[in-house]
Amino acid sequence: MIIPPKNFMELYKFLPQTNCKKCGKPSCMAFALELLKGTVKIEECTPLIEESKYKTGYNKLKELLEGEEGIKKELKINIDNEKCDACGICIIACPVNARYCYSILSGKTPDYPPDKHQLFLIKQGKCELLNLEHCRRLATEGRERECRICETYCPREAIKIEYN
Amino acid sequence: MNEDKRVPCSGCSLLCDDIIVIEKDKSNYDIIGACLKGIQKFEQRNSKNRILSPYIRQNNELVKVEWDEAIKKTIKLIKGSLNPILYGFSTTSCETQLKAIKLAQKINGFIDSNSTICQGKVLNSAKKKGITTITLTEIINKSDVIILWGFNAVESIPRLLSKVLFSRGKFRLTGREIKTLIIIDTYKNASFKVLGTKDLALIVEPDKDIDLIKILKKICKNNIKLPNEGTAGIDKEDIKRFITYLLNSENIVIFIGQGLLKIQKDGNPLEKLLDLIDIINNKNKNGRISTVMMGGHYNMAGFEHIALSYIGKNQNIQFQNRKLIQTKMNIISKIKERDFDLSIIVGTDAISHFPSEISKILTSRPIILIDNRKSGTYFVADIVLPTAITGIESEGLAFRFDHVPIKLKKIMNPPNDIPNDEELLDKIISKLDKNNVNSD
Repeated sequence: MIIPPKNFMELYKFLPQTNCKKCGKPSCMAFALELLKGTVKIEECTPLIEESKYKTGYNKLKELLEGEEGIKKELKINIDNEKCDACGICIIACPVNARYCYSILSGKTPDYPPDKHQLFLIKQGKCELLNLEHCRRLATEGRERECRICETYCPREAIKIEYN
Repeated sequence: MNEDKRVPCSGCSLLCDDIIVIEKDKSNYDIIGACLKGIQKFEQRNSKNRILSPYIRQNNELVKVEWDEAIKKTIKLIKGSLNPILYGFSTTSCETQLKAIKLAQKINGFIDSNSTICQGKVLNSAKKKGITTITLTEIINKSDVIILWGFNAVESIPRLLSKVLFSRGKFRLTGREIKTLIIIDTYKNASFKVLGTKDLALIVEPDKDIDLIKILKKICKNNIKLPNEGTAGIDKEDIKRFITYLLNSENIVIFIGQGLLKIQKDGNPLEKLLDLIDIINNKNKNGRISTVMMGGHYNMAGFEHIALSYIGKNQNIQFQNRKLIQTKMNIISKIKERDFDLSIIVGTDAISHFPSEISKILTSRPIILIDNRKSGTYFVADIVLPTAITGIESEGLAFRFDHVPIKLKKIMNPPNDIPNDEELLDKIISKLDKNNVNSD
């Protein structure tokens, strides 16, 4: 089971935003970042529990971080091969591919058989997803977890990032 | 196959030289990295659309015949013709193009390629002022602004943007983030979906590109103020941003597409565009603008090079008494005025490409078709001679869109021992020689 990543600004919205430093962090924003990483718990922010006006925010945070009734969601990258015209933009644009396959830097097809980190592969005019575990949304932390490069740059809108 | 497995693809004029072909078993291949256009070229081998044996039209129906009979009939038609036209050649190798020019010289014909109604127009406009070109490698490594003018890259050449815009070249290591895309077109085409936040999309009113170029020229020359209502349907602010990019970027590449080739109301937009590029390149000391001529067929640039080096003229080549003569005719006017009695069409679908009135006149005279697929021309041709697919079943030289020669490779053998284009034309030329000797 894989926990879906979140935007730390989304978490910050529901914090008191007073920068009281009771949690030991310099600001509420820093606390939100730590929350996203999972190094602190929500309860460490004492005003959230003690003061009644923050109750809705506390409930919302709990829902966001722990999921509905404890069910965790799984990341899926759906590729619609009816729409795909195998232009290879996803291969070239993907930052994970670029880090491990040298020939991608000059816009060339990566070597075959593919590197174990490679995410996408164009074979017989169709786009295939190789292994999801190295995707930025799972293997990295912080802002990099919000990566949606393949989805935004696909000119045919064939790639969809979903959680279910 | 394992050692030298990267082959060039002959699907379009990009000629991607990084396609990986892996042999699974006898006639099954895994093709990695090719787009749908390239895959279609590979699948053409076994498709229903493939022509596998010669055909001759008898009683208004195409009849399958033997090679000897088909060649015999071809020689007879060519010998009986006084004013033949040869057309096509942009989907054949350079060797075939050279043989075709030699054949035209032998039979006193008129020869022209698809380039004459396509990117040859840019070269014609550039004859007065010259043109700044750029190679693909330089675009990948150095370009920072990419302009698609009247050209839908996503649909016509699918892999172009992944090579040009998304690649991380030697001096542009952040890739897409550092490169700016500007699209100028009359409608919102499929390429618009690639645009990011700092990119620019200019939707011009149809036939008004020339107005936009003129106003840009005036601003660059005399620093005049922009009209408040904008020009050619484009906002004042957008033109301002466009001119900032043009004057301050390091390496700008303009991809000239089919949309800009048409002569508009106030003149030829290509000439004006080349003028504008000349002015900016003289003014701008930090960078330069280069152009790329985007054709669809994979060896469109080849005919220009071969014809220029062999005969000294790249379009509208008319032979008389085996010598080149000056003519004002082009392929369209030649057909329109019915100034021909036989047409030899090689590797193209002329009937579908030309306007219908021209096609009708073309069908009124005998047609010899040399091709590997059943196109519109196949159904009206009098003699059909099949050939191998260049780039897959036979090798040859081809020029990429940036006029860089690339050697196409032979990957597999053709079915039924079909000759390639070059061998077939060679056969026809040698038979013509033989017949001449016999009749003497």
